[in-house]
Amino acid sequence: MKFILFSLFTIFALSLQAEPYKMGQGVKVNEMLNIGGYFSTEFESNRSSDSVALEDIAVIAYGDLHPMLSYLVELESAGFYRKNLSDDSHSSDKNFHIERLYGDLWISNEVNIRFGKQIAPIGYWNREPINVLRDTTSNPLYSMLLFPRFLTGIDINGFIPKVDGVKYHLFGQNNNDLDENYINIPNTHFFGFALEKEISNELSSGISIGDFIPKSSVRSQFIQANFKYDNEVWQILAEGLVAKSRYSNTRDEYAFSAYMQGMYRYTQKHAVIGRYEYFNDNRTQYEDNILTLGYSYRPWYPVSLKAEYQFHSKNDENRALISFSVLF
Amino acid sequence: MRSIFLLIIMGAILLGAQYSVIISKKIDISSLSSQQLRDLFLQKRRTIGNLKIIPINLVGQDSARTAFEMTVLGMDRDHLNNYWIKQHYQGISPPLTQPSFESIKAFVENVEGALGYIPSSMVDAKVKILYEF
Repeated sequence: MKFILFSLFTIFALSLQAEPYKMGQGVKVNEMLNIGGYFSTEFESNRSSDSVALEDIAVIAYGDLHPMLSYLVELESAGFYRKNLSDDSHSSDKNFHIERLYGDLWISNEVNIRFGKQIAPIGYWNREPINVLRDTTSNPLYSMLLFPRFLTGIDINGFIPKVDGVKYHLFGQNNNDLDENYINIPNTHFFGFALEKEISNELSSGISIGDFIPKSSVRSQFIQANFKYDNEVWQILAEGLVAKSRYSNTRDEYAFSAYMQGMYRYTQKHAVIGRYEYFNDNRTQYEDNILTLGYSYRPWYPVSLKAEYQFHSKNDENRALISFSVLF
Repeated sequence: MRSIFLLIIMGAILLGAQYSVIISKKIDISSLSSQQLRDLFLQKRRTIGNLKIIPINLVGQDSARTAFEMTVLGMDRDHLNNYWIKQHYQGISPPLTQPSFESIKAFVENVEGALGYIPSSMVDAKVKILYEF
């Protein structure tokens, strides 16, 4: 009876007084269906070539099926169209992949169960992976190469009882990814635990540990930490991770990566960004120091125009990137 | 922006609480901390105990909503819009809205778990005050 009353009131309320559409917040059809999407375009110039790309096109749908049950679906085409301006070649992948497909069972503030394909709850960068929400076009290598970005499994999460403002995530996967062509590290086993603490409105931090078995390599374990300070003018982000892979009973190999990014918003629409990243993976013998200097212009927050230049310490991988992205 | 924020807080202190956050008097909750309230209206928490909470905002840019956002949520409208844009990608929507204080009060009286803010002068025996600002 209460649910029927609630439903009637909700329908009545929405039909009378829906909030007008706001750019970047999707279209709310009703409580069960919100629709949105995004796209990004990119120009890259490096030593070997120049290219332009319609990099990502995606649609998102989500809603509440019941007061305690919600869902989210995201379908994305990455690398939709790319043209190499140096040799006039082009490539295209118009297939849409399942980026996310999950449900949330909201039992209480202390226990929420997310099941399905989801973003792994590790750090900050990994949780906001799309171009338009980032402040640089590029991603730190930290977020791309050292742990699976997605989880096809279960994440039990919530606030820790009687501990002010501390959230936990206990997650696990014991199967293949839902879409193996669309994950940075295909794996068959991924378990982990994460804690995040909102220290104040401006300050937060977190840690996580994980264990995964890549399909093409040996078992790895990692420990990760993250820190964020964000006020109206400054944002400081720092994340670091150490990973260990056991190649035999006597041989462990390590990888380490950390970055620190500072952003100064000199107006609400304009910001300058600097990021330094150190990356060293003994397993692949790849080491690099990367300095990124960038500029971000957001005429509206969900519309992002960014430019950056990356200085690499080796392999002559310096490059310039410009992107334009929109969230609907 | 900080000066506006301080002015609103100082004004509230000097004039006394103008608005009350209310819930149905049938609900067995006596108060909320500002952090709990903030988490509920930012959809970081969904329940109090076992009760599903339905936060209700006043539609538009009424001064009461602005005061609530600045003093309780600690964000101006632009900052809040940016927050909801990021939450949209996470599949989380802003709270429902109502067009007037009268409709907020009626909603709170009739829907279990509904939580809204109205002028303190409108509070009567049908609702319970959980927080004042």
